[in-house]
Amino acid sequence: MHLRASQLTKDFGHRSIVKNATLSVNPGEVVTIFGPNGAGKTTLIKILATLLKPTSGELEIEGTDAIEDCSGVRNMLGVVIHETLAYPAFSPYENLKFFGQMYGVKQLEQRATTLLTEVGLQRFVHEPLHIFSRGMTQRFMIARALLHRPSVLLLDEPFSGLDAAAKQFVLERIAQEQQDGKGIIITTHNTELGYLVGTTFFFMINGELEEVAQRDEITAERLLLMYEEKMRSNLSV
Amino acid sequence: MIKKTFRQIGALIRKDLGLQFRSKETLVLIFVFSVLVVLIFAFAFGPIFPEKGERGKLAASVLWAAFVFAGIITLNRSFTAERSHGALHGIRLTGVDASNLYLSKVVSTVIFLFLLEIVVTPIALQFLDLLDVVTVGILLKLFGVLGIGTLGFCAVGVLLAGMSTSTNGGESLLSVILLPIVIPIIMGGAKCTVSLLVTGELANGFWLNLLIGYSLVFLASAYLLAGAVIEE
Repeated sequence: MHLRASQLTKDFGHRSIVKNATLSVNPGEVVTIFGPNGAGKTTLIKILATLLKPTSGELEIEGTDAIEDCSGVRNMLGVVIHETLAYPAFSPYENLKFFGQMYGVKQLEQRATTLLTEVGLQRFVHEPLHIFSRGMTQRFMIARALLHRPSVLLLDEPFSGLDAAAKQFVLERIAQEQQDGKGIIITTHNTELGYLVGTTFFFMINGELEEVAQRDEITAERLLLMYEEKMRSNLSV
Repeated sequence: MIKKTFRQIGALIRKDLGLQFRSKETLVLIFVFSVLVVLIFAFAFGPIFPEKGERGKLAASVLWAAFVFAGIITLNRSFTAERSHGALHGIRLTGVDASNLYLSKVVSTVIFLFLLEIVVTPIALQFLDLLDVVTVGILLKLFGVLGIGTLGFCAVGVLLAGMSTSTNGGESLLSVILLPIVIPIIMGGAKCTVSLLVTGELANGFWLNLLIGYSLVFLASAYLLAGAVIEE
């Protein structure tokens, strides 16, 4: 098992943003978490990425206690969140080279060039990141997340703000990484795309994470109906 | 492990200096600011300056005022660049030890400010009519004092900037919390500078010892606290 989270809770003041979240991800598994804005998905991803300490609960990554030894597990994680996690004044190549040095990536220059070509940024290798569109930035962020060959990918809203071609690219890349045996956790509010890539589905509403079904147990239409029903019942409460 | 540590610290320092010299925003800002401080003092007290002893005291106050405020600007800008697009999270995700991250930030900020001091000090001495009476030996000793003072200032400044820039209004907060703490550094540095510019030597060892002692204590204690500050 790549990642195991148990009873994770995060409080900010008196408000619980994540409530007793429990999930795990195995090699080749894609866990998709559906939820509306403000449900706590980003907070959960930041906790799983060890960027936020949970108020309570347990988190193991590759068998290591990630709360006690967060520095020791971080190089097993590839993370895409709303921020670029990079320097906008640097080009994608300079960013990958810097972060590759930090990770200790071998044959770094070749790795950076290959990755940037794979994500379709070969023509913009030396352009500063701050001139990139949303889609190009997302492609760079995926390259950055894959740079050090992590075993777990944490993708927070990877389809957000992308055009059809960029969404297709992200879908294909996720499928490729899944085949390579990575454990992947995705958050999204797009049930159609989330269903396409996911193998296990969760809903997250008001900080509460609930496992819904495995992919072979449910159709996309049924998943969408359940999600809409869940959202309606949440609104009525 | 040691090799990895040095590789990471080296990469972080190169990145910091690369960013500073690439954008040139901070570079131009602190240079113009420092020269402006020098010019204001020079015009206020000039054009007929008092005798050498008084000019030495004036130059010491001008230099330290300029460098302390340039240091605050540099620290604020440096951490704002780290936080604005989550780059600091990106660095944390590489698994780098927070103390090494702190140490690299101190070294790069010291290098950056020291380069400013090397450029601005002769300009200040020229405007205050002291350049002719300062020998190369005194100038080198002066850079030594400024270097030690800058190290002490950055040792505590980097730690506090790491905390303050994550809060609303952090830029003004840094000045409020940093200046009272670095008073011993400023006192020691200014007194050593006066001594060098007036007598040509460090007459009283007390102020130099104070400067070195506080710089090292700040560096060691901030290094130990860096993990908690950066992770939280």
